[in-house]
Amino acid sequence: MTHSMARFMRRCSSRFRPRALAAALAGVLAIAGSAQAAEPDLPGFIHDGTLTVCTNPTLPPMTFVNGTDVNAVDGIDMDIAHRLADYWHVPMVVTTMDFTGLFPSLAAQRCSMVASGIIKLPEREKNFDAISYQDTALVVVARAGTPRLSSMADLSGKTVAVQSGTSYSARLAQENEALAKAGRAPIIIQQYPTEDQVVQQVLIGRVFAFASQDVELYYRQEQLHGKVSVILVPPYPEYRHFALYIRKNAHDRELLEQAIATMGQNGQMAAIQKKWAISPDAAKALANTPAPPMFRWDTFFSALTSAAFMRGAFITLAVAVLSHFTAIMISIPMALALNGRDSLLKMALKGYVSVFRGAPTLLQLLFIWNALPQFLPIFREAWFTPFLATWLSLSINESAYQVEINRAALGAVDKGQELAGDALAMSRRQVYRHVIFPQALRIALPPTINEFISLLKTTSLASVISLQELLAVTQIQVARTFEFTEYYAAALVYYLAMVFFFLFLQKRVERRFAWADRHKATANES
Amino acid sequence: MNPDPKTMPDPSAMISVRNLSKLYKDFIALDRISFDVQRGEKIVVLGPSGSGKSTLIRCFNRIEPHDSGILSIDGRVINAQTDLTQLRATVGLVFQNYNLFPHLSVLDNCTLAPRLVKKTPRADAEEMAMRFLRQVNIAEQANKYPIQLSGGQQQRVAIARALCMQPEVMLFDEPTAALDPEAISGVVGIMNDLAQQGITTLCVTHEMGFARHIADRIIFMDKGRILEITPPAEFFTNPRTQRARDFLDQMISY
Repeated sequence: MTHSMARFMRRCSSRFRPRALAAALAGVLAIAGSAQAAEPDLPGFIHDGTLTVCTNPTLPPMTFVNGTDVNAVDGIDMDIAHRLADYWHVPMVVTTMDFTGLFPSLAAQRCSMVASGIIKLPEREKNFDAISYQDTALVVVARAGTPRLSSMADLSGKTVAVQSGTSYSARLAQENEALAKAGRAPIIIQQYPTEDQVVQQVLIGRVFAFASQDVELYYRQEQLHGKVSVILVPPYPEYRHFALYIRKNAHDRELLEQAIATMGQNGQMAAIQKKWAISPDAAKALANTPAPPMFRWDTFFSALTSAAFMRGAFITLAVAVLSHFTAIMISIPMALALNGRDSLLKMALKGYVSVFRGAPTLLQLLFIWNALPQFLPIFREAWFTPFLATWLSLSINESAYQVEINRAALGAVDKGQELAGDALAMSRRQVYRHVIFPQALRIALPPTINEFISLLKTTSLASVISLQELLAVTQIQVARTFEFTEYYAAALVYYLAMVFFFLFLQKRVERRFAWADRHKATANES
Repeated sequence: MNPDPKTMPDPSAMISVRNLSKLYKDFIALDRISFDVQRGEKIVVLGPSGSGKSTLIRCFNRIEPHDSGILSIDGRVINAQTDLTQLRATVGLVFQNYNLFPHLSVLDNCTLAPRLVKKTPRADAEEMAMRFLRQVNIAEQANKYPIQLSGGQQQRVAIARALCMQPEVMLFDEPTAALDPEAISGVVGIMNDLAQQGITTLCVTHEMGFARHIADRIIFMDKGRILEITPPAEFFTNPRTQRARDFLDQMISY
């Protein structure tokens, strides 16, 4: 029996439920015994003949972007997903998104499965089926040189960073209950949206330690240059397995377990583990690489000129321009109705403005991406991309702000202007098109440009629904390399360049409004 | 002189009004007004503020729709079904506050409506605009924006703008009320010229010189009603109502 098979059997015996074990063994035997030509039964989660894998590629070596192409997700999870797709003879599609979006997307049937270095936990298994594929352990990591701790209780009063959306904070909260009973200070928990930020907090000394998985730390050693070390491996029985998650279905679960079992048996699993060097020995060797300079100009410039950043900036710009354009188009008739007589429509519009100005933009994005498909299955289909969802969401959100600008601008145009247009026999359309709108535009332009600049930066929220805009691209690169300063600086340059361009445009357009100022009008003439 | 309110409107008159009334909620702005204006007549409407003068003349281009009674312009009865474009192309209106379009040059102010409403080619519209701008002595300012002009100059542009629609009736709604005395004389001079050219004119004003020397008849209003319609000579020397006498006394002492 091979080493990997032994590992697999050990895992089966200790973790799989008896029924599942029987099924897995039956699967192994069936594949081993029957002719190879026998097509494996396709699980139900393979929708439209495609295995759609959702992942948050910020957890090396499980799932991460291993290069400058943000669409090329790499890692153990991806290798396993590829083998699974091969096993079922179907194509595989990877959808990347924020960690917090993974399970809602799975529930909304946007993914066949979630493969994102996620721990097998009983509370998650209440809602989803989890199939483990890789052993691991929770580790508490601090800066190199920090003395080892003997138990979690030693973290009392210290600050620990964890990735938000992960179960670490719940586990630390349990520790805090025990500490409270013992009359000791609790562990102070700080949560960050990405794993790289968690690590950065320790590197810059803001927090004492962070919680992570051992395999990640082994892999990170190359980037961390031995700056951190494990100070504690708490004896938690959970946090021992990474699992693939699918929607609850006993049959699908059996089929996936069979597939994983087959990979363990035919050596594919062992090959993947070897490829990613997830062992303590490999990590030690990597830790001895020399420390990097403070600011790597070559990294900065290559980020600045990389296709990934340009594409990210283009997506940011495109979604902002389209959303604001749509918002303006929606909000002009809305503003006219709101300035008009009282009606049911006006009441409804007031409600619309209140709701969409009141609710946080992030919540609206998450709602449209994750909750809407539960009411309207059409939004679950492939055509409803993160780009479309962001466009839709930001258009609605922005229109609620823009309508107030339009309303004020239209109201600020002297009522005599409309009268004069009427008296000159102009139609309603002509009065608005040639008399009111040009004057309202002058009043609305500065606050509208302000809104647009704000919107341009708001697009960064769309990384939570997996839109590969500029900040999402930046974070993925940072997660891969840990070169925070260089990539943040490159992103800053892009954002500033875009904002300055629009400020310049505003100046140019405002020059055309000289008619509103006696001195400027006279100056232009001479 | 007053037509019988029970008769039908006079189709040969330029403006013919029978029992015209207008309400703002509970306030009676116009109360059963009846009169005729013949082609080429110059009428000045006098009366204390709030008497309904402006409301009356604004009914004639339906910027203020009337509530009851019959209004006929150039032989056509005006009601909710009336083609407003045609009506307003016939009846020009000049406002107290000029209401020039600030974002357009003087020339464009004059050509906008002819080009949009009458589909006049730009070159023709500009040629006509320059003719009227010369008539109101402001042709040299044609390429300036309204904000660069004085009040009197702006009002003269507003008159030229209204004339560019080649109306048959000109309504003036207190055209000199916002102007200083020097500017008033310029505007009144232009109104005199227009009156000489025979265009039917109704003018709400406190400018007594214009009322006395140019008007064919004076309409005196109070509280939404017409109290007198008389030639100016008679009105200024021998008003028939006490209310008119009081009004004139105030104007003179002022």
